[in-house]
Amino acid sequence: MSERVPKRMSLYEKLQILTDAAKYDVACTSSGVDRKGDGNGMGNCSKYGICHSFSADGRCISLLKILFTNECIYDCKYCINRSSNDVPRASFTPDEICELTMEFYRRNYIEGLFLSSGILKSPDHTMELIYAALYRLRHVHHFQGYIHVKAIPGADERLIRLTGFLADRMSVNIELPTADGLRLLAPHKSRKNILKPMRLVQEKTKENRQEAAVYKNAPRFVPAGQSTQMIIGATPETDYQILNVAEALYKKFDLKRVFYSAFVPVNRDSALPALREEGPPLLREHRLYQADWLLRYYHFEAEELLDETNPNFNVFLDPKCCWALKHLECFPVEVNRADYRMLLRVPGIGYRSASRIVKARRMGSLRFEDLKKMGVVLKRAVYFLTCNGKMMYPVRVEEDYITRNLLNTRERIPEGADGMTYRQLTLFDDMNLEAVKSAGIEVLNRSSEVIL
Amino acid sequence: MKQVYICHDTVTGIFSALYDAWKEARDKEAGIELKGRIQQRLFCEYKVVTETEHKAQVLQQMIKRNMGWNTYWDVYRAVLSDDDGKGEAVFRMMQEARTVRDSTKIMDHLGSPDVAKVFELSRRVSNEAHIYKEFIRFRELENGVLFSEISPKNQVLTCIAEHFEDRFPLENWMIYDKTHETFLIHRKKERCRLVCGETLNKEAVSRISEKEKRYEELWKGFFGAISIKERENPKLQQNRLPKRYRREMTEFSEKQLY
Repeated sequence: MSERVPKRMSLYEKLQILTDAAKYDVACTSSGVDRKGDGNGMGNCSKYGICHSFSADGRCISLLKILFTNECIYDCKYCINRSSNDVPRASFTPDEICELTMEFYRRNYIEGLFLSSGILKSPDHTMELIYAALYRLRHVHHFQGYIHVKAIPGADERLIRLTGFLADRMSVNIELPTADGLRLLAPHKSRKNILKPMRLVQEKTKENRQEAAVYKNAPRFVPAGQSTQMIIGATPETDYQILNVAEALYKKFDLKRVFYSAFVPVNRDSALPALREEGPPLLREHRLYQADWLLRYYHFEAEELLDETNPNFNVFLDPKCCWALKHLECFPVEVNRADYRMLLRVPGIGYRSASRIVKARRMGSLRFEDLKKMGVVLKRAVYFLTCNGKMMYPVRVEEDYITRNLLNTRERIPEGADGMTYRQLTLFDDMNLEAVKSAGIEVLNRSSEVIL
Repeated sequence: MKQVYICHDTVTGIFSALYDAWKEARDKEAGIELKGRIQQRLFCEYKVVTETEHKAQVLQQMIKRNMGWNTYWDVYRAVLSDDDGKGEAVFRMMQEARTVRDSTKIMDHLGSPDVAKVFELSRRVSNEAHIYKEFIRFRELENGVLFSEISPKNQVLTCIAEHFEDRFPLENWMIYDKTHETFLIHRKKERCRLVCGETLNKEAVSRISEKEKRYEELWKGFFGAISIKERENPKLQQNRLPKRYRREMTEFSEKQLY
């Protein structure tokens, strides 16, 4: 093979190239495993994860997120590293990865390593290199911090299994929500090939859990579980389809997390959507994450949040509020008696405040002032709650009325998501109703009719 | 006449004051004020507390026995906070605990304003401690020691000690709290120690090792490259990483810090 990189690159240049190439991967969590150091190496892991910094786009930096190589043989249309792109290429050596990880970790810059890779020569070859790097890190440098590694679809099962014993979390990217999308944009990947390693990791994890129950010191296989990510907005799927895929992944593959990544057009290709002026669909991504939390922590089902006739999330209200507005027959809820699961469904009550409520009401009945101290967001919750049979102030339990009031309360959206600013509705606002209608938002139409 | 106990702003000091207050005035009103931060009030009798390890120990045992370990840790963290009313809040919370049937569950009783205050202080301290677990940056000195300076509002050093001790057992490291002028010092394979009353040798901590600069540059390079241009959002970044922490963070220092 002829050398593609003529001059020797410095470590700094390599790090620049391979970080730049890795940044579109969203998963940067270091959570899911609690591990003390054994006193003979360096590092530990904390169950809830630790972020060490926040980059200029506001995303957290927890792990040293790099690609092993961006010399990729695949040609996925959405990917900056596709083989037909003319971008600088580089590869690390296992030793360089160890050096960077250890020295960054010592200075408390990072929580561990996130190693992904393009496909160098073949999936097996790439997986082997990744394994070599992790092996050195764990057994030569005695690194006990967090490692998140990609399982390369198409690589030998044994390699994936061996690597899994060195990593804390493994992930295979499902890339696009449907198999059709994948066929269109990633011609070298197939749904089957992606799900295979995912199933393998799932089965091995289950098996390992039994081993660990019998033998206390059995080596742990991917203790923090596996995750995946998909790109939102590159293909025409609806939120309903995406959420159903996510739910299926949680239920059938025991995934810990599904990440959503708003599509950022880095390539020009006829198969990709045209460049949008307003930038990546960040608000849509945000709504999907909100719904994702409802699935994982709030006992909601995808079917409850969206359906065939109403397949996309409301731009103006979060999924939980939308659900509550459609199910006003369940409200108001009595704080001092409602069961935990019902409390979870009240907008403005999170899972932490719900459990605080359940504990605190054993000691005496709660008032609205107490709820505020427990972290309940009253401006949203007042429409749905009673304390000792009374509402905080007279409220009509009526969809229009509550919708209008909820729209008036400023929702805490990550700053600048979708470039929209939330402000109080007034009589003379130019609401840009045309755009709203085309987005199919009936709620706002109705509420603005009342105002206008 | 309300009895007010005056003590130093240390765990031993406040615990000693609580010990005295509990002994003499557990059924009455009592106040606890910090030396140098006293607000004189009418109809109060002021009394300086003799601070001893013994009193602190006894009080700690009493809280653990009667109110449970978890409550003790909440009290401990609350006492580390920078709030002047912390001693009094803890005292009144202890009085409150006598009125509930199961004193170990006192921290669930958030309906009481004193319990809520202790809860809030404790949360404030543990939140700040967590932030420093994230944002502390070490630099390697000439002699291989990892050194870090922080300026927290609360006295968080003892709350983060265990975390870093477990994380870097084979390193010599030191964290200096500029606000409270205390050091947390860890020697290879030993337990951490908290040192007060020393001054920082500025010259010694400015001599960094040869390789330090190289890794700092690599880190800054990484930090710049990881951000996605199309998503840039300084407001969000500032929400999550307020500017006051940035002074001591490698990636935000334009030039060398030292």
